[in-house]
Amino acid sequence: MRRIPVVCPFCGIGCRFYIKVVDDTVVDVKAYKGESVNRGSLCPKGLTSTEYLTSPSRLRYPLKKTETGFKPITWKEALREITERLIEFKKKYGADVVGFVSSARCTNEENYVFQKLARLYGTNNIDNCSRLCHASSMVGLTRTLGLGVQSSPFEEILRTNVVLIWGCNPAETHPVLMKYVLKAREHGARIIVVDPRRTRTAQLADIHLQLHPGTDVALANSLMNVIINKRLYNTEFIRERTTGFNDLSIIVDEYPPHVVEKITGVKAEKISEAARMFATAGRGVVIWGVGATQHAYGTDVATALSNLALICGYIGREGTGIYPLSGQNNVQGACDMGALPDFLPGYIRVTDNNGRGRIAKLWGVESLPAEPGLTLIELLKASSRGRIKALYIVGKNLVVSSPDTHMAKDALRRLEFLVVQDIFLTETAELADIVLPAAAWAEKEGSYTSSERRVQWSFKACDPPGEAKPDWQIITMIARGIGLGAYFQYSSVEDITWEITKAVPQYRGITPGRLKENLSGIYWPCPSENHPGTKRLYEKEFPTNNGRATLIPVKYRPPAEAPDEEYPFILLTVRIVGQYHTMAVTKYSQSLMKRWGEPYVEINTNDAIRLGIKNEDYVLVETRRGMIKAKAKVTSKIPSGVVAVPIHWGVNVLTSAILDPHSKTPGLKTCTCKIRKA
Amino acid sequence: MPKIIIDLGKCIACRACEIACEKEHNGRALITVLEFEDEEVALPLSCRHCNKAPCVEVCPTNALSFDKDGAVVLDESKCNGCAMCAIVCPFSIPLISKATKVMVKCDLCSNRRLRGEIPACVEVCPTNALIYGELEEVIKKLRESKAKKVVSAWRKAIEVVAAEASYMIPPRRS
Repeated sequence: MRRIPVVCPFCGIGCRFYIKVVDDTVVDVKAYKGESVNRGSLCPKGLTSTEYLTSPSRLRYPLKKTETGFKPITWKEALREITERLIEFKKKYGADVVGFVSSARCTNEENYVFQKLARLYGTNNIDNCSRLCHASSMVGLTRTLGLGVQSSPFEEILRTNVVLIWGCNPAETHPVLMKYVLKAREHGARIIVVDPRRTRTAQLADIHLQLHPGTDVALANSLMNVIINKRLYNTEFIRERTTGFNDLSIIVDEYPPHVVEKITGVKAEKISEAARMFATAGRGVVIWGVGATQHAYGTDVATALSNLALICGYIGREGTGIYPLSGQNNVQGACDMGALPDFLPGYIRVTDNNGRGRIAKLWGVESLPAEPGLTLIELLKASSRGRIKALYIVGKNLVVSSPDTHMAKDALRRLEFLVVQDIFLTETAELADIVLPAAAWAEKEGSYTSSERRVQWSFKACDPPGEAKPDWQIITMIARGIGLGAYFQYSSVEDITWEITKAVPQYRGITPGRLKENLSGIYWPCPSENHPGTKRLYEKEFPTNNGRATLIPVKYRPPAEAPDEEYPFILLTVRIVGQYHTMAVTKYSQSLMKRWGEPYVEINTNDAIRLGIKNEDYVLVETRRGMIKAKAKVTSKIPSGVVAVPIHWGVNVLTSAILDPHSKTPGLKTCTCKIRKA
Repeated sequence: MPKIIIDLGKCIACRACEIACEKEHNGRALITVLEFEDEEVALPLSCRHCNKAPCVEVCPTNALSFDKDGAVVLDESKCNGCAMCAIVCPFSIPLISKATKVMVKCDLCSNRRLRGEIPACVEVCPTNALIYGELEEVIKKLRESKAKKVVSAWRKAIEVVAAEASYMIPPRRS
């Protein structure tokens, strides 16, 4: 029996556990009690994460689409076809007609080689799944603080006095984080939750601000209005560490609680009470999730929340910090590695001549593409118009996770060539011309960077099924096939990790040797091999031009789709604890499916009575884009006029592809709908 | 006598305990998370291993007994599946297994305790809503933490007044 230390493949908390292996077969998950974020505890998904590995539905051989369906082919045939087509596209139309979609559930090493492939092929058309969730936080925080990341480790929450949780239900999405929140509460910290639904997290709060969906900016501005008018802000911090307070106070002056009560539906007294509780605590943290960011104004919410933390001085000190939670185990790493259309590894803008030159020199090429590429949804829209002719998608079920499924499917069908590399034949892979079988997380090794910038090594526990291969090997083979072999001379994952230490300044001291020895991981920035890593950012200055954070005022804009006579309800897309994203892997887990196996629609008790809908009745939910059928769950936990549907069972046939203008994140969280008995 | 103590109000109903239990007991969860929507509470309930256990008293075949840790455990070879234990249990915990035709309930993870490990449900719980230990020690710790909250609330009340007083400076408009 062997015990192999791995990193959980699901959310961004970065839990560590062992996999128990007997005779090269994965047997079970075992608790790892050493220094780690979870110290032995796990959520149901982490606990069952080995169940889908052995599913008979795993992809074992490369597949080629024929008129009679998919046919297994050899790796040689698959690689030949892919590389020939890639060379042909570049020759015929130029490299920018090809798009690359990377995965925030692949390792840092794999994201690194994939973006390198895209760029050496000649395009910046590379993006990763964080576009659908946290690009808004990244863009918003880069504007205000200079860097779009979580500022403090999770353990900092234990030392805080107030926890503000915004648009996030960690009790279901990040259960292990609740250990920290509840422990803080035990020490006397107050909990404020902002959510339109009375979620399990909201039930544990001291104050629950139950706002109308889509009114986040107004509420955040109103909290700041109270804090500024009652002089509850941190004068010293604002004077010494920020700029723009004056402009901010002029804008938030337009949001007094009695006005915002009418916009948000939250009582003015409750807004004042929450503002007072937050600002007077002395130490506070702000945690947010996709409820804050998956909107057409997501960047504004992230900006407003950073303003709120800044005026109270809740950044860069003990017991403070901002926490944009990531939903996949390597969202942070995929972005750090430059799997983004506008950033090279280490957040060097592709337009920055010096920085780009440095990377080009490291890779041994003359130049790299300098034009920012297309973001994820833009890639889809360009595919519809024929501007993008081929996509190479790694570990992403784009058909189900993108807004407006019909649009997404149509876009992928219009492509001349689609390659999908995954561990199952997902809905997206079904549309591919060539499907490549990848090794799953436990079948390969490499590093992952959690939401708290903790870089951890995950070891290999078992072999992949059939002829499946680790993503980095497949990507390297394709690179060699299109004549880039000289730049992809990797014989092991560690070779890539070493190159990352040279390319990404924040990872300079994070060597494979250190990661393997130190299971608790290393927090970036880590500038040298003897540097212990940095848990808390911004203690002395912000990585901006003048070292100060910028307070950028943002205005409330009403949501793009407002309820009307035809579509009178607001639809919220939500998550449940026992399923994950598009269910691409969790549907192969028995323990999860028997508990969380069926979709449902949450509807308010009074609305249900009015529409003659009883609990467990089948209902139809329809938007301008599509319709779904599911059982009704009649509940008082959701306000009247709102219905909520878990995202996991293909809810995106309903959602709209309207994009945030700054981050290009789609407004997946809300749209309008109608509902009736089926 | 160690027990599983439930820190009521900390359970987030994620049901990781059920799955951990299932893995430990041949696919059968012997702990159930009961959700009370109106009360906004979830209760992860398993055998309480009562000190004066009615199931042990009533068992006609002496299949139920206390082990060295005080856990109520079953000797499957003696059980005749009469379900009297289920009838007298104040929490309706015992069930009759369809496979073995005899009673089945939480054994406080006998196998894990032999290896010096704590019960699987307690180990996995992401919020520490389940605590394993000597009742007196656990309750003492819970009491201290609750007292701490009272003290910190009192202290904060004083600080708020002080903080509000010290911030009575008009905002800089320049």
